[in-house]
Amino acid sequence: MKKHLPLIMLLFTLLVTANYSYANALTIAYEQKKLKSLIEELQLQFEEMEFVYNPNSFEGLLVNDFIIQRSSSLKANLDNLEKVAPISYLVDGHTVALKRVDMPVKVQEYQIKGIVSDEQQIPIPGATIVIQGTNRGTSTDMEGHFSITSNTFPTTIEISYLGYNTLTRTFTETPLEVQSFIMTTSMEALNEVVVTGQGADVRKKRLPTQVTTIKGEDLEKISSQRIDQQLSAQLPNAQINLTGGQAGATSIIRARGVNSAFLNSTPIIYLDGVRLDNLNTRATLGGSSQGSSMSAIADIPMDNIEKIEYINGGAATTLYGSDAANGVIQIFTKKGGKMGTHVSVMAESGIETPTADFLYFDRSKDLLFRNGLYQKYNLNLNGRSSTDFGYNFSASFMNSSGVQIHDQNENMKADFSTGFKAKIADNFDYESSFIYVHNQYKRNRNGNQGGYTGLWFAEDGASKITGPGFNNRLDELSEEEFEEMKAFVDNAERLQDNQIIVNRFTTSQSFKYKPIESLMLKFTGGLDYRAQEQTVVQTNEYLTATRGQEITDQGSIQNIQRNYLGITLEFTAQHTYNTGDFSFISTVGGQLFRNKDHQILYSGTNIRDGALTISDAAVKDSDEFLSEVLNYGIYAQENIGYKDKLFLDLGIRGDRNPAFGDNIGTQFYPKAGASYMMSQESWFNTNLISSLRFRGSFGIAGNLPPAYANEKTIVFDGYLGNQAAAFGQPGNENLKPEKTHTIEGGVDIAFLRNRVNLSAGYYRSLTKDALFYIPSSPSSGYTVSQLQNIGEIENYGLEFSVQVTPIQTDNISLSFNASVNTLHNEVLDAGGAPAFNLNGFSARTLQTVVQEGYPIGFIRGNYGTFDENGVLEETIPQSYLGTTIPDLFGNIGMNFSYKDFNLFANGSYQSGGYGANWDAQFRYYYGAAEGNIPQGEIDANGRANWLNFTNRFVEKTDFLKIRTIGASYTFRPGNSKAFDYIILGITAVNPFNFTASSFDPEATISGAAQGQGGASTGGISYATYSAPRQFLTSLKINF
Amino acid sequence: MKKIIIYIVLITGLFSACVENPNVTEDVYLSNPHAVSSWLNGLKRQLAKTSNTVTINVAITSDNYFNNYSQYSKVFDVLQIDYFDVDVNAIQADVQALRELATYGIETVYPADENATEEDLSFIYFCLGYSNILGGELFTGLPASNLGEVLSSAQTLEVALEALDQAIAFTDDQQMIAVCQLLKARAYYNLGDANNAYTEATEALAVPELLYQIAYDGVNSLSNEMQNATYDALPNRLAPLPRLDFLDPKYYSTGTPSTDQKPVTLVKAEEAYLILAEIALAQNDIATAKSNLIGLLSLINIRPKVLVDDSGETRNGGNRTDYPLTAVKVRFDANSDFKSGLVLDRQQGSITVSTVSGTHVTAADIDNAQTIDDVLYHVYLMRQEVFMSEGRRLTDLGIKYPISQIEQDNNSNVSDEYIEAQIPSFVADKNLDDFSTDADGNITITVDMNKIIVENKNDVAIVPFF
Repeated sequence: MKKHLPLIMLLFTLLVTANYSYANALTIAYEQKKLKSLIEELQLQFEEMEFVYNPNSFEGLLVNDFIIQRSSSLKANLDNLEKVAPISYLVDGHTVALKRVDMPVKVQEYQIKGIVSDEQQIPIPGATIVIQGTNRGTSTDMEGHFSITSNTFPTTIEISYLGYNTLTRTFTETPLEVQSFIMTTSMEALNEVVVTGQGADVRKKRLPTQVTTIKGEDLEKISSQRIDQQLSAQLPNAQINLTGGQAGATSIIRARGVNSAFLNSTPIIYLDGVRLDNLNTRATLGGSSQGSSMSAIADIPMDNIEKIEYINGGAATTLYGSDAANGVIQIFTKKGGKMGTHVSVMAESGIETPTADFLYFDRSKDLLFRNGLYQKYNLNLNGRSSTDFGYNFSASFMNSSGVQIHDQNENMKADFSTGFKAKIADNFDYESSFIYVHNQYKRNRNGNQGGYTGLWFAEDGASKITGPGFNNRLDELSEEEFEEMKAFVDNAERLQDNQIIVNRFTTSQSFKYKPIESLMLKFTGGLDYRAQEQTVVQTNEYLTATRGQEITDQGSIQNIQRNYLGITLEFTAQHTYNTGDFSFISTVGGQLFRNKDHQILYSGTNIRDGALTISDAAVKDSDEFLSEVLNYGIYAQENIGYKDKLFLDLGIRGDRNPAFGDNIGTQFYPKAGASYMMSQESWFNTNLISSLRFRGSFGIAGNLPPAYANEKTIVFDGYLGNQAAAFGQPGNENLKPEKTHTIEGGVDIAFLRNRVNLSAGYYRSLTKDALFYIPSSPSSGYTVSQLQNIGEIENYGLEFSVQVTPIQTDNISLSFNASVNTLHNEVLDAGGAPAFNLNGFSARTLQTVVQEGYPIGFIRGNYGTFDENGVLEETIPQSYLGTTIPDLFGNIGMNFSYKDFNLFANGSYQSGGYGANWDAQFRYYYGAAEGNIPQGEIDANGRANWLNFTNRFVEKTDFLKIRTIGASYTFRPGNSKAFDYIILGITAVNPFNFTASSFDPEATISGAAQGQGGASTGGISYATYSAPRQFLTSLKINF
Repeated sequence: MKKIIIYIVLITGLFSACVENPNVTEDVYLSNPHAVSSWLNGLKRQLAKTSNTVTINVAITSDNYFNNYSQYSKVFDVLQIDYFDVDVNAIQADVQALRELATYGIETVYPADENATEEDLSFIYFCLGYSNILGGELFTGLPASNLGEVLSSAQTLEVALEALDQAIAFTDDQQMIAVCQLLKARAYYNLGDANNAYTEATEALAVPELLYQIAYDGVNSLSNEMQNATYDALPNRLAPLPRLDFLDPKYYSTGTPSTDQKPVTLVKAEEAYLILAEIALAQNDIATAKSNLIGLLSLINIRPKVLVDDSGETRNGGNRTDYPLTAVKVRFDANSDFKSGLVLDRQQGSITVSTVSGTHVTAADIDNAQTIDDVLYHVYLMRQEVFMSEGRRLTDLGIKYPISQIEQDNNSNVSDEYIEAQIPSFVADKNLDDFSTDADGNITITVDMNKIIVENKNDVAIVPFF
């Protein structure tokens, strides 16, 4: 490094000085000047010429907006001067004669007209246009139109808008047509104002941490049924994997590793300041993997999004306190549009095809899948009045028939949302949003729920033991045999009736009051209410059909309701103060949230076929679960700026929560960090680097223990009509949140006029007092694991993201973006506790395990070795078989536009993780395949040792998945009164998968069955559907 | 604006005050009256739960049943018993939960409840005693308390005896006294203490048809798992050794299974006769042994028998498909004669189910037995048949489970000697559940484990009085 330092400094100095001299040579004249001195300057510029004139005649004359163009000829400069000054000239050889024109010259103005829009051809209102080197400027109107006059040519106009790369264009003469300007978003728009994690508005450059902002337009490009899928290739430093292709499946979202062994790595999700239900509590009743693998993220409203802010855990989330070690995603809804009333309608439709890439038997596709149809419609009304009242209304309907036979994965969703904003007084603003989502989907049996389960039957060899029993090597069946199997499966699928209905209502209300210019008071309150009803109807006909014998008295209906109500209240006061070179932003606030999760099960057994309520059941049963979380905290933050280039950020939050143990009081979360905009320094003047920032911070954020987890309880079960008491949980008076201490540093650089944006960083997170569910020792008499703060978990890694725009012309733009993240995860200390599993089966078969010295959720199972004859020689139980957490992951994307045509693609990748192919292991066991097992073993022991060499069924889960490829064309009719513009689009969703594993490395629903609430790293492939492919066309008309 | 701030403060205050705990904490529980009565119900429920775990796992581990399905242990059938096995942990947890619940009942709940009676205390001691009997019979050793020191199998049985003495001391119920005496006889039997075993067994027979059963409650998620595994669940999960086919199922349901859960026997007078017979044989008194067995047969004969439609039984669990479904003959090993009537054809009308005890051994069989070994063979054959589906066979085979890995990881008192299962060598090398079928469909069991027991009767792990 020492060697390199002088070199770097030298290079830096060269860049700075070279640029300095170049910049000086460019600028000669500015603004209002005396005509006499302008002529003198021209003389200096064109030394070879002799200027002849009477100085007195030009005395006292002033000229506006004239620039001497060094690159232009003398004649061109004099022509320009003629336009703005009362002068005429004559050139003869090396002599220039100048004389004053007595007739007053009408200074001629030349108008440039244009329209400014973004990459999606959406007009940008309020963009600033200036003529370079002058004071002359204007801004675009609500339609993105502008006109500006210049009285000299050539002239260069500069267009700028917050969050976009500044655009310049030079005109040598007055353009006759309206000019089109397409602005591209800048990746690191450091002047952008963000709010998430700050309490109130702060510019990005002032923050020592990164805030990722995704604009609504970018999200709208991507066809998707749910928000996490839509974001999956959008967050550069986070990984989002859907763990199954069925509607409502859970996703694994992780950014800076897995910092908890008791809670999933999903960030907290806010909508307009209101905390949403996002998988925080487990589905505790029912016990079916259908219930537990449902995700509350799947029905988060996704219409009407203005932008999304995302912050990683660490100093960025400290102000969220005990609740945000996994980061925060905040959704901002639209609350107003352009002046007037605007309407847009959108229709999207297409086909869905099953992703058969990972099916073992070719005929499984034939057996279980078919092509489906997808359609979505959206109506949007928005507008703004002159009195600062804005509104936005949106309604959409989506229906996907799914790719499973008999519509067993049909998904229907309807969203209605409204957003308003109003200026009640000069210093008082009100914003409001109301959102209602109705989501209804079917879900057939998945994983192995016992009896008949489609994929388990076809792919895992279980057809051998199900129903009448079949030859389980599907591809070897004769046509006739296959038809017989097909008839059986068709009937079994037809007779399944499992449905989930979600009704969700979310609202946020916020008030901003500015009693004085420098003080802003903000109050946000709102609620998220989500009611989920799951119904599983098992008829006698279904049981008879799938179990191979007549059943008449076992029909059942199980209903599980989960009602979630979350209330969030937040009050923030922000004071700004500038003195000399210093600026201070002081923020204090308090936040409270209260979540109530009420689950109710009611079921009926021995029910006649045809009944759809339990009222006709011979035996009725019910159960209930209630959890209420209350967390309240106050925070204070001071952001100090020096000369708008060096920023210091300090903050602290204190939290209380009834789930903390009796011995635990307020929990504190401090943070400190600095941001240094080196490119703001006066000496930093280079064309190569447009902006350069260094940042570093330390911060603590926590994960809350669940409600009541601290208490020693007695539980009661019914026993023959009496109360039967037993030990509940052991209790823990010292229970407190686990705290993730994150130290991070990074640099954000923009090169070549923002053509290349690079962000690089390193973080190390240490979760102290990590909460572990310690398996109760059998001698304790307790069966419930008690949460204890005994672990220590380490995550560290590098985070890179880069955006390159190699081509950027008036008509063509091409850009690429990519991110690379490394990750090391390890349980440094388990506090002497025994290893415990997150998911999987029993300790003697296959589990994902938490154990000291290993990554969280590594695959543990039997490691078998074979002798020279291929016969199993030795089995080492409970062996480390690989980590489920990748050590490298990221996203890639490209965007190309030519005039009104746009083409884009994005994808995600990972490397370094492993997964267990439990499907293959069962296939081996049931004799449907030989897998990776030597023939010698099969000859010697048959299938008896199937569990003793699990290592042979563990595969690498490296993948590159192209999530979306899309193209759109914007048609502008010019003077049509009927509509403004039409966007035609085609999209392919999930078109290509490149994987190292023979199974879908993401579809590990069984490994993630506890994804709702509990920690999960996936890693076990077990009869799980992959997300289907979609090929869609869309039409959007803006009126 | 001021108003808004006031509202905010008010609302904040309101919400902070109103999270209520829906759970019953220990303090609340103990301070409310009649805690002991709910604690006794809890103990009964745990007795039922523990019995489930024990009966299922013992059935699979022993030669009684083969696990023909994907649920339950997939390795106990091949006598792979690892200390990290989830089922080993589950058995230990359920046995010890009964002990801890009893201990907590005696030390904490009973003193806190002024309405509690001595009869209540007696029952709690009974549970403590029973849990330690299970611990002593099934495990090589177990911690004596939560994370406590490890007691050997024999020491655990001694603790059981003390608890049962307390149980007897606090009750006037003759039935319960007899139950405790028979359990004491069982403990002395396991300890090889013939004198005390004789005394307790004889005294227990003061209640000639002594039967202590624990009830199940399917509506409250406490089904008789053995009933589920052998009758209710489809496909059927556990398949009996074909020579025991006629004893399957012991538990059955009519109507909706959850409302018809049959009880499981914990203690019954039959055991006294078997203990007395073995004591007599150990003293070379064949005649007394035979008369004990004849007495046993009379008792078995008056136990209830019912006709049950078991036509749903198709042995279609999936792992092994050669279980006989028609009334074929079976021989106990290759050197025995074929016997009829042991394998039932369940499609030919209802079958007879012995709900308490059943055996195919007749008075004539007992009469014909001449040598000590012959009679001893019949003692162990009848133990196997009489205790079918009651979780007892493991002790006859001398198999004991190890202490679980989770216990050892939590409890530094657990030394490595206790993490190995005890499997006698003459058992370990046998395929307990195996059989073959000849061309006529008749069955030959690979090994007659009762013969093996008699051959090895002097081994310390089995047949305690020899």
